[in-house]
Amino acid sequence: MPRDLHPVAWWLWALGLATAASFTTNPLILLMLIGVAALVVSLRRSDQPWGRTFRLYVWLGVAIIVIRVVFRVVFGGWVGGRVLLDLPGVPLPDSVAGITLLGPLYAEALLFALYDGLRLATIVICVGAANSLANPKRLLRSVPPALYEIGTALVVAVTVLPQFAESVRRVRAAQSLRAGETGRVGRLRRLLVPVLEDALERSLALAAGMDTRGYGRAGGATPAQRRVTGTLMLAGLVGICVGTYAVLDRTAPRLLALPMLGLGAAAAVAGLLSAGRRVERTRYRPDPWRWPELVVVASGVVVGALGWWMSRHEVAVAYPPLDAVPTLSVAALVAGAVALLGPLCSPPQSRAALAVPAPEEVAA
Amino acid sequence: MNPAVRVSPRSAAVLGVASFGGLMMLCWPLLLRAGTGERVDPPFLFLVLLPVVIAVVLAELNEGGLDPRVLAILGVLSAAGAILRGVSPGTAGVELTFFLLVLGGRVFGPGFGFVLGCTTLFASALMTAGVGPWLPYQMLCAAWVGMGAGLLPRRLTGRAEIAVLAAYAVAASYLFGIFMNLSGWPFIAGIAVEGHEGSLSYVPGAPVLDNLHAFLVYTLLTSTGSWDTVRAITTAVAIVVLGPAILAALRRGARRATVTGVVRGG
Repeated sequence: MPRDLHPVAWWLWALGLATAASFTTNPLILLMLIGVAALVVSLRRSDQPWGRTFRLYVWLGVAIIVIRVVFRVVFGGWVGGRVLLDLPGVPLPDSVAGITLLGPLYAEALLFALYDGLRLATIVICVGAANSLANPKRLLRSVPPALYEIGTALVVAVTVLPQFAESVRRVRAAQSLRAGETGRVGRLRRLLVPVLEDALERSLALAAGMDTRGYGRAGGATPAQRRVTGTLMLAGLVGICVGTYAVLDRTAPRLLALPMLGLGAAAAVAGLLSAGRRVERTRYRPDPWRWPELVVVASGVVVGALGWWMSRHEVAVAYPPLDAVPTLSVAALVAGAVALLGPLCSPPQSRAALAVPAPEEVAA
Repeated sequence: MNPAVRVSPRSAAVLGVASFGGLMMLCWPLLLRAGTGERVDPPFLFLVLLPVVIAVVLAELNEGGLDPRVLAILGVLSAAGAILRGVSPGTAGVELTFFLLVLGGRVFGPGFGFVLGCTTLFASALMTAGVGPWLPYQMLCAAWVGMGAGLLPRRLTGRAEIAVLAAYAVAASYLFGIFMNLSGWPFIAGIAVEGHEGSLSYVPGAPVLDNLHAFLVYTLLTSTGSWDTVRAITTAVAIVVLGPAILAALRRGARRATVTGVVRGG
């Protein structure tokens, strides 16, 4: 039966692909990941506006690669390898000392820029795939309970957006009926202030509505619970800070690097969960989490893990040398297959149903 | 007037530690100390960690529960900021957003400014196809801009207030551009590999000053002269021209939205 997959499942799958992409510069693997993402998007996206954004991300990826290559050509600086094109060098004046524009263009330099740009482009395209597959409104509903208020504010923001256009039209119509300032600034001020006042007015009416439905009830956390939450959060953040420092300073003990980051992140997430316990709410029509969600998430996790494994054990495949043709390994092919097979298990989105207009719309 | 989002000493501590961590994740190219000959990849891990850090700060700031009126205003201002981002000129399109962010932070206080920065950028990213690896960095920097506006001295009024806000907006625009460039620099200009230094690339293990020099030239050439200046001028002009009217409207709203009394149940 067609239904929308849980948005969090799509995001985790795409993040798995992006993780795998971040561990390699092999153009074959990266192009394979992009291909899988594009195929899944074309099979499973919905007809809603966000379903059409994937193309933008692909263009953005192309732009990233082009910018990266142009940078390498213009700001040159690479020495060694085969010369493709012997451009003249243009040294800049002393104020920006040490910079020479153009100069000979080496094949290796070009390839390096291409590979590196392709990696970032793949990450961006994977995020774009998640963006066009997952319903953002449903995603906002599944924010962790600790961020419930912020999530609600975002839902309010997304919902009131169309009202601004209507508000502008009303203010314009009202002002065309009477005299007033006609200067450019005066006109703008005459338009903006009423629109803003209108928006604030509406927001207070909305707040009153929420108040009457018992929204503003303060949480029931005891001081002890609040202390635990605060301690967990602070400890988590301090752990992340220490871990970040140790990751950056390679001379620091390795125990302080990734393990510390992991501990800090775990404490921070525990703090978030603990803060979320104060929010008591019910969900209207919760998104189901069934086996297709699990399969999709699992395929993302497996792909990410395979990418990490290849970067450790198959270095020549993950980071191909610039003077040889990049090769694929069994692990890379398995990663590509798993990345595609997971989403194929997901139910098709209800596109056909949306394509046929509802009877009411036809009548109107 | 009471700030719309209360910042308790504990929240301030969380905010401080998180900002410090975020700053480290932003400035990693200048902090990294690698041995020679090691393969250096951009730490993609930070792209996953930064959202966690931001989530913790946001959770801490609304820990006591947000007032519905504050929440509604937060939503409306985020929506307005998202629209302003849509109509702004420029690539990253945050020109006019800053204007509302600075004024909102000023009127509603630093805590609100921080949250507004995050929600505005997130909402506008949802509207346009703007969700990407850069989003956490943008959210953090915009949150700092909003918070900074709330921390400006309270006593200023009238022309002096507008002048200070405009000056702050100019400084914030340039700093925002520099920080965003810093986050993107190793990705766009590339990381130099052993023996092949690109003239603007990030060279891991090189002295901080050398890298800083390369970065400053990079940022000067790519954006400080163009985008950042456009953003600074647009924001400052918008604040000078429209600021007084918008500030008055926001203050009227704030007075109605903040409730100071506490109802005690019997």
